[in-house]
Amino acid sequence: MGTNLRITDRHWDTLRKRCAASFRSWTSKETGAIALFGRSVTESSRDLLVSEILWPGPGDIKEAGTGNLVFDGSYIRRAHMLVRERRLAGLLFIHTHPHQDETASFSPYDDSEEPELVANLCEIEPQTTVASIVLSKHAQFGRYYEGETCEPMQRIFVVGETLRELSLTGTAPQPPPSPASIFDRGRALTGNGALARLAGMTVGVVGASGTGSLMVEFLVRAGCGRIVLIDSDLVKDVNLNRILHASVWDAETRQPKVEVLRREVTWKGLRCEVRSIKGSILDERVLAELKTCQLVIGCVDRALPREVLCKLSQQYLLPYLDLGTEIGGTEESGIASVDSRVSYVTPDRPCLFCMGVVDSRQLSFESLSREERKRRLALGYSDDLVMTQPAVMDLNARASSMAMMWARHLLQPFMASLPLAVYENLITLTTRSISSPRAATQNCSICAANRYRGLGDMGPRLGYDELTAASFMDD
Amino acid sequence: MIPQAAADEVAALKRRGARVDIFDENQQCYIKADAVEIPSPPWAATATDIMIAIPATYENAELDGFYVAVPLGWNGAAHPRINGTAITINGRQWQGISWHYPDGRKWMRGADNIDSHLTHCRGFFLHRGATNGY
Repeated sequence: MGTNLRITDRHWDTLRKRCAASFRSWTSKETGAIALFGRSVTESSRDLLVSEILWPGPGDIKEAGTGNLVFDGSYIRRAHMLVRERRLAGLLFIHTHPHQDETASFSPYDDSEEPELVANLCEIEPQTTVASIVLSKHAQFGRYYEGETCEPMQRIFVVGETLRELSLTGTAPQPPPSPASIFDRGRALTGNGALARLAGMTVGVVGASGTGSLMVEFLVRAGCGRIVLIDSDLVKDVNLNRILHASVWDAETRQPKVEVLRREVTWKGLRCEVRSIKGSILDERVLAELKTCQLVIGCVDRALPREVLCKLSQQYLLPYLDLGTEIGGTEESGIASVDSRVSYVTPDRPCLFCMGVVDSRQLSFESLSREERKRRLALGYSDDLVMTQPAVMDLNARASSMAMMWARHLLQPFMASLPLAVYENLITLTTRSISSPRAATQNCSICAANRYRGLGDMGPRLGYDELTAASFMDD
Repeated sequence: MIPQAAADEVAALKRRGARVDIFDENQQCYIKADAVEIPSPPWAATATDIMIAIPATYENAELDGFYVAVPLGWNGAAHPRINGTAITINGRQWQGISWHYPDGRKWMRGADNIDSHLTHCRGFFLHRGATNGY
């Protein structure tokens, strides 16, 4: 099982900036910091999630020279206390090696001192895990201690306004391999490096219907290596106007939507593996499948899954693109709105509620029990919350296409910056960027005041048991 | 299921002396407030119990409407807005009430809570606050 580090770009860029002084000259001194991490464990990997970095204050660095750095005991104790108080997984010691440039490696001093420090911390709290990273000017090397075992770390995933992947093996960045010729025409937009990352990425697509089926198609043809595709529904004839590849036979035989898409992607032979999961994203076991992903794309049309995905993004430091379309109006009054939207959520961005994309009234109705929802409907004031939403493939394509362009931008930036959300209005033929949250809540428990940011598996259970998840599904 | 935020708020209300309770019945969380004072007349009693359904995603989801313990007379008859299906929860008979936040004073996520919703619910008995009923 490989061990990786996941960190927000705000933390990573600040860390690199604060450590930059270490690399100005041969006489520059070592510096460093202690970070606190949560953990996300799957069958194939262990990701340490940086929840917070405790920047050293006055007196926190006991000794700093060109070849040594000693953190003060009180600094280490403070960090260790916080790990225990916040029920985090462990401490990450970060320090620089000023004399190292293209490669990074631990010194004999590190090799002799670190195990002793780990042993001391574990004696105080046996559950403590420790990781250590040494930074050179252009590389970084990491190792992970659990009990008496120590193993090298593999990669850093930097999550935020772009998605970066760095090696933790101490080697200088290698030139990416040349991609297969089928991707030649896309290289102007997604070059070799970005393409190699996309090929190595696992992208979660939640929803395999109108926008989801198109999203899968775009990802596969862009060179994505692995897709985790989640949807609980079967193909019905009313879906055939918008699910790419779905056939009359699929509807007649009630094929699971995810299986239809997996079948078609496999048949194409474009080297994309699809793991299809027929289940509700509200089910905690299904939701946990997204832990293996480096990007999650929400193609859902309800508030409750969006809430769960926003929380997942915060707790597991996962970037999350959300798509939506809307056709509003009545037969009597005519068409009032034809909109497509894409939003981007990260741990350092507002959630969809604060953005004003999802409203708490819809969420309230969806998260009542089935019986309670029936009673609300009988009272006659929630009809608007259960209307069958019109949807057409051509409008869905606009949202999916924009989301794919945003995904490409995250890997190889070409826009000045990503807004929080973009709405395309096809009646006025205008596009509106939202750059500040329209419904910001200062103490929002999903984003601004989320106590579980970066806790991963150490945080509360996300999603619901199977029975409860099923009770929230449409009747 | 009982949302943690609701459980925490009810515990805080109890510490302040409020007669509130939180419970789960058939996978739905409810809060029951006992002996909420109401004006009599026009109501047939000086106090009543009320119950609020709490969505599983509270505090991100808003609260809306409430149930009142029935029977509860009003001006010698039934109040026209106590018109939901009568249900039995926690061994009591309850009836739903359409009592919503008016357009000019919507639920404010992060500011409103169970305490403020109880105040909003009391407004029904005092005939003040919300303007839309149905």
